[in-house]
Amino acid sequence: MFKDLDPILHSQLRLAVISLLISVKEAEFTFLKDKTNATAGNLSVQINKLKEAGYIDVIKQFKENYPQTICRITPAGVHAFDDYVKTLNSYITHQHPEKPVQKKTDPSL
Amino acid sequence: MEEEKFSPEDSFRLIQSMIAKAKNTVADDSFYFLLWGWLVFIASLAQWVMKVILHSPYHYMAWWLMVAGVVASIWYGYHDNRKKKVKTYVEEMLDYLWISLFVTYMLFSFIFAKTGWENCSPFYMLLYAIGNFVSGRALKFSPLVWGAVACWVLAVISTFTDFDTKILLGALAVFCSNIIPGFLLKKKYRKMQFDVQRS
Repeated sequence: MFKDLDPILHSQLRLAVISLLISVKEAEFTFLKDKTNATAGNLSVQINKLKEAGYIDVIKQFKENYPQTICRITPAGVHAFDDYVKTLNSYITHQHPEKPVQKKTDPSL
Repeated sequence: MEEEKFSPEDSFRLIQSMIAKAKNTVADDSFYFLLWGWLVFIASLAQWVMKVILHSPYHYMAWWLMVAGVVASIWYGYHDNRKKKVKTYVEEMLDYLWISLFVTYMLFSFIFAKTGWENCSPFYMLLYAIGNFVSGRALKFSPLVWGAVACWVLAVISTFTDFDTKILLGALAVFCSNIIPGFLLKKKYRKMQFDVQRS
């Protein structure tokens, strides 16, 4: 039996955002938009879903009189990402089972 | 990015590509290496000229140039932080490293002001070496690591020389540890920016 993939993370844009945030300490909304090539509206909706799930923190502030949104992954988000990758791994291993590794034995033994 | 059903393989590819994109987000830290490299290089040569050629008793005044470095670093750091869209763990760790080295540098200066400056050069070279080695390994940039090795070697050599030669070896140390790696780091950053724009 396979564990279901986390539906919050199993979405292209949300997974892209989480994958970016897991690699950095924090990132601005514009950075996430540039790297994912998403539209501002769509990215905003997906960020809200991640925030509601408790996977990211979103800090809204002003910088030089312009609104600035900073996103940061939470410990729950790191845990969910880790689980997601493990589940993915088990799916892929099942689909493409590798040949069992033959241990080299010493002929002299 | 479109929302559609995608396979576990697609998920893995997406994760890999996003992590690679985030890894390519390296800040241009060459400014600090070049700024401090040139300032220490110029101050060392100026002190040597004032002491050895001009026989000035005020040769140590050349080091007041470092105040300009502190002001320029604070100004640049303040403006650079405002422009940054992302903060990486490596950048944060390196900030703490260089702050701790700066404090140690200042405390060494305080101690040498009390005990005498005759043997200060090897200690400063060792501080450059620590900063360069850790930065080089963290940024995976070997010229900084080789700069650190040069500082370690020059620190040992300078313990066998007189004060005037120590000044020149100090200039050589920053040339190897800051100026050359600084230029190469700037070149690498520009190439990365160019590659990102092309892709």
